[in-house]
Amino acid sequence: MTTSSKPRSNTSRRHLLAWFATVAGLTITRSAHADASADSATAFMTKAVAELTSVVNGPGTMPEKAAGLQAIIERMVDVNSVGRFCLGRFWRTASPDQQKSYIEQFHRVLVSNITSKVGEYSGVDISIQKTFTREDGIVVSSQVARPNNAPAKVDWLISTESGQPLIIDVIAEGTSLRLTQRNDYSAFLSRNNNDVGALIAALKQQTVETTKAQ
Amino acid sequence: MVRFEVADWPTGLVEHFYLAFGASDAGIVMTGLNRHLRRADRKWSLKQWLLSAVIVVSFSALSGCATPPPASDPDAVAEFNETNDPFEPANRQIYAFNSTLDTYLIRPLAIVYRDALPQVVRTHTHYALANMGLPVQWVNDMFEAKPRRAGDSFMRFVVNSTLGVGGIFDVATDFGWPDHDADSGTTLALYGVPSGPYIYLPVFGPSSPREGIGMGLDSLINPFTWVGHGAVDADLGYARIGISALDTRSSLLDDLDKITSQALDPYATIRSLYRQHRESQIEDTRHYDEHTIPAWFPEQMRKPHQTPGSAGVQKQ
Repeated sequence: MTTSSKPRSNTSRRHLLAWFATVAGLTITRSAHADASADSATAFMTKAVAELTSVVNGPGTMPEKAAGLQAIIERMVDVNSVGRFCLGRFWRTASPDQQKSYIEQFHRVLVSNITSKVGEYSGVDISIQKTFTREDGIVVSSQVARPNNAPAKVDWLISTESGQPLIIDVIAEGTSLRLTQRNDYSAFLSRNNNDVGALIAALKQQTVETTKAQ
Repeated sequence: MVRFEVADWPTGLVEHFYLAFGASDAGIVMTGLNRHLRRADRKWSLKQWLLSAVIVVSFSALSGCATPPPASDPDAVAEFNETNDPFEPANRQIYAFNSTLDTYLIRPLAIVYRDALPQVVRTHTHYALANMGLPVQWVNDMFEAKPRRAGDSFMRFVVNSTLGVGGIFDVATDFGWPDHDADSGTTLALYGVPSGPYIYLPVFGPSSPREGIGMGLDSLINPFTWVGHGAVDADLGYARIGISALDTRSSLLDDLDKITSQALDPYATIRSLYRQHRESQIEDTRHYDEHTIPAWFPEQMRKPHQTPGSAGVQKQ
C-alpha cells in the first residue's frame, strides 16, 4: 500500500509543479505581453504625435496640411472599428450593403471633420504622459497645449486587435469622441424609425455641407 | 405690472454652458439671480419666481414623457435606460427655446465681446471672475475631504486677491497653487447621491436633480450672495453676471458652433458630452489624493508626479 501510494503522490506532486509552472509561465507571458503592447502603444503614439505636429505646425498651405492629416488618419486610426462602434446595436441589424455604404460615409465624415479643423491646431504641442491598460485597449495619456487655450488632457485609446497598434478613440477632458458620436447616431436613428438608410443619407448630406463650408 | 428683463436670461444660458463644459462654478450665476430677487424695486417676488418655476416644470411634465421601447427589444430597452432621459420630449422643447435665445441674443453678443476686446483683457477678466468663485470652491474642497485642494483654493484666493490685484492676475498658479474644479454637485456625488434623470432646464440648460440641488447649495455657500445691499451693489452684481455670460459664451464660440454643425442631433450630443464631462470631473476629484506638501518642498517628499485634475488611474 505504501509502495503504491508513493508513486501516486509523486505523480500528483509533479502534476502540481507542472501546473504551477504553467500558471506562472502564463502569468509572466501575459504580463510581459501586456507590457510589450503598452510599450508598443506608447512608441506608436509618440510617432503619431510627432507626425501630427510636424504636419500641423509645418510649412504648407491649408489644403496641403489637410491632405497630410488625412494620410495620418488613414494610417493610424482604425476607422472601420470606430465606425462599427458608433453604429452600436444597429450594426447587426443593417444589411451588408448598408454596412458597406455606412462605413464609406463614416470614413468621409471623420476625415472631413478632422481635416476641416487643421487651421485651429496650428501651434499645437502634445506631450505624452502615462500609459495604462483598460479592458477595451491601451490608453496613452497626453497633455495638449494650444496658444491662448488652457492645456487639455487628451487620452488616446489604442487597440492592437488588427495586429498593429491603431487609434480607436480620442478622449478629450473625459469625453469620448466615439461614445459621443454613438449617442448622436442612436438618437438620430430612434427619431427616424431606426432606419440605417436615413442615417447614411444624413451623413452624406453632412459631408456635402462640410466640404462646402471649407 | 410684471417686469421681465431679457437681460436676466443670459445667466441661465451661461449656466448651461458652465455645466456642459465645466468652465466655472455655478455660484456666480446663482448669486446674480439672488441679487435680482432681492432688489427692492423688483416687481416679481421670490414667491412668484418659485411659482413660475413650478408652473414651467409642471407644464414640462404634462407635455409628455418619452415612451419606453417595447420589452421585446432588450437592446433598445437597455439603451433607453442608459440614456436616462424620461422627460425627453419636454427637455427638447426647452432646448429649442434656449437655442433660439442663444442664436438671436447671446451668441451675437459674445461675438461682439470677443472681437471688441483684445485677448489680454478677456483673459484677465476671466481670472477676476474665477477668483470670485474661489470661496465656494474652497468650502466644497473641504466637504470633499481634499485638504490639498482646499489649501490651493484658499491660497489662490488670498494671493490672487492681493498680489493679483483683486484676482486680475493669476499669480497663485506660478506659486504652485493650481486651479481645479469643485462644486456642490460633485460633493453630493462623492457622498453617494445619484445623478437622477437628465433634466434640461429652461434658462439653466443641462442638469439633473443632483446638479440642480448642487447649484442651489453653491449659491447659499457663496459669500457674494450675502454681502452688500442697495442699488449700486445690485448693479455691480448684474455687471458681473453680464460679463461672466460673455466671458464663458465667447470662449465657447468655436466649440459650440462645431457641435451644432457636426452633430446630427445636437440635443443628444450635448446630453452625452455633458454627462461624460460631469462624470469625468467627479471621478477626477474622487481619485485626487495628492499630499498637502507645497510645491517648494523638496521633490523627494512629494508623491510621484500627478497632474492636477488628471484621472487617478495609474499604470500598475
